[in-house]
Amino acid sequence: MEYNGGAVVAMVGKNCVAIACDKRLGVQAMTISTEFKKIFQATPKTYLGLPGLATDVQTLAEKFRFKINMYKLKEEREIEPRTLAHLVSSTLYERRFGPWFTEPVVAGLDKNNNPFICNTDTIGCINFAKDFVVSGTSTNQLYGMCESLWEPDLEPEDLFETISQALMNAVDRDCLAGWGAEVVVITPDKIITRTLKSRMD
Amino acid sequence: MFLTRSEYDRGVNTFSPEGRLFQVEYAIEAIKLGSTAVGIKTPKGLILAVEKRVTSPLLESSSIEKIFEIDAHIGCAMSGLTADSRTIVDHARIEAQNHTFTYNEPIKVESVTQAVCDLALRFGESARGEESIMSRPFGVSLLIAGIDETGPQLYHTDPSGTFVSYSAKAIGSGSEGAETELQEEYHSSMTLLEAETLALKVLKQVMEEKLNATNVQLASVTREEGFKIFTPEELQTVVDRL
Amino acid sequence: MMSTVPSELPVTAPIEHRFDPYVDNGGTLLSIAGKDFCVVAADTRLSEGYSIHTRYVPKSVKLSDKTVISMGGCYADCLTLTKRIQQNMEASLVAPMWYRHAHGKTMSTAAIAQMLSIMLYQKRFFPFYSWCILGGLDEEGRGAVYTYDPVGSYEREACRCAGSASSLIQPFLDNQINFKNQASERRELSLDQVLRITKDSFTSATERDIYTGDYLEIFVITSNGVELQKMGLKKD
Repeated sequence: MEYNGGAVVAMVGKNCVAIACDKRLGVQAMTISTEFKKIFQATPKTYLGLPGLATDVQTLAEKFRFKINMYKLKEEREIEPRTLAHLVSSTLYERRFGPWFTEPVVAGLDKNNNPFICNTDTIGCINFAKDFVVSGTSTNQLYGMCESLWEPDLEPEDLFETISQALMNAVDRDCLAGWGAEVVVITPDKIITRTLKSRMD
Repeated sequence: MFLTRSEYDRGVNTFSPEGRLFQVEYAIEAIKLGSTAVGIKTPKGLILAVEKRVTSPLLESSSIEKIFEIDAHIGCAMSGLTADSRTIVDHARIEAQNHTFTYNEPIKVESVTQAVCDLALRFGESARGEESIMSRPFGVSLLIAGIDETGPQLYHTDPSGTFVSYSAKAIGSGSEGAETELQEEYHSSMTLLEAETLALKVLKQVMEEKLNATNVQLASVTREEGFKIFTPEELQTVVDRL
Repeated sequence: MMSTVPSELPVTAPIEHRFDPYVDNGGTLLSIAGKDFCVVAADTRLSEGYSIHTRYVPKSVKLSDKTVISMGGCYADCLTLTKRIQQNMEASLVAPMWYRHAHGKTMSTAAIAQMLSIMLYQKRFFPFYSWCILGGLDEEGRGAVYTYDPVGSYEREACRCAGSASSLIQPFLDNQINFKNQASERRELSLDQVLRITKDSFTSATERDIYTGDYLEIFVITSNGVELQKMGLKKD
């Protein structure tokens, strides 16, 4: 987690969910890129966040794209967020003794537009949360921010502001994360994607 | 049976049967031979003035130093043995710097004075048998002037390590005459300018030579400028006012 | 057959001797400076590893009517350091500096701040394992917060959190006290607002940090003196 740095956070709102990540790619203390994405669209209403070792992030992103497409072809429907969570879990547990170095986050709306978020550890133990999940190098800072800023039933715009403030202030206190951020708010009828400017040091 | 005074003034820390420490008393006497120094306290600040004894026309009067800076806000004037005063002033400067280092604030004038007086009686053999730093008392008296959070402060110290606060004080050979004059002329609401003039006026009366800008030294301590020794030009303007 | 080692002697494994004088007793402290007040707060849990030794032990001590010190880290070191500060502020036969008796006044917050830095640095090569935050009023009556590392490096700041949950609370303080990442102008916060932020910080930190909890002690320092408020935190 500390080799490349990075942070991902997801939150539940009222009939909506938000997921956000920073954009840094580093090699220990040296920043390599400030345009490194860590969240990927899995289905029209589900996103997958993959903070951790950059090579595993990219490999897994491709692997999950493949698996999600195969699911869609076989089942002739989009994969549900909860199903995706279990897919992620079992994929990671396959490497129980030589794990992928990433702690994925799944955020999305299910077929009834109910919010769903979860994260797993590096070997696929799922944590189903009702409020927020955090992952990456800034977990302490994110927990502190989310515990104090988050409240139930936030509207999409309020949820956007909350998750943005939580992420930006958290990564500003983490040398390994930051350098810009990306926020996605998923609502039943649209997806709002915004890029945030933040401290570049 | 009853021993005469001359036998009790050998040891530096032996009391006489009457309860006196003769060496210390002699040291106090030594001050009365020194050049005259005057200190005046006003609500705005303090003035220190000393006479310089220019014993030869070949002597460069600027090399005689009898007023010293202790810290930016504290100065002192001395009378007595110049060499002893260096030791004391060094000690006072270290004490002041040490205070600023440990507490990040200027030291109080009383604390510097106390530190100087702590040193005064550390002569002779000590009770615990450790090496003492001095063999005799200091033959010097100081007027310590400074401004701290309690306002302008003027202290007088003598070789016995006693210190007393004054509104105005004179020490040295002309001190008796000077103090009479100070008592008549001093009032507590003096301006600094009046104090400058009074200090030189008092010196002028007790000095054997005719007072001019080369045989006196003048210094002030104010809130705005801190401790400052008058330049020859500044001193000349005060002399001209007399 | 001759052998250089008698076979009767038992063979023992080498014994490792190690001196490990430090423990981390956890706990969180924070201080926020206002225009004419200062808040110093700390939880009261004392733990070691996975066990809680005591649920109520104060981490903050009132040093004067204007200054409160709060410390976290190794509790034994914190106790000793607090005692030494108090000795140096007063008079004691063993204390090297006795401020009040030598100078006839109570130490100002700035003077204690500088002295504490030196006391910590004096033990540069066998440090006190303590994270100190000094809160109080300066000579002009404004709130002042001084923060230290264990070897005496210090800085005056507007707010600071230290101890086990510092990484959780500090970003929140950056946001709420220093208005970081906010478009709005920096403005002075009232005592009520600062107290609310303080309490929120600790209730949030208690949720996630196992070393923080039980009770919260809040010292409010104003020109009227030091007032102590207590509040319960979660005990799990």
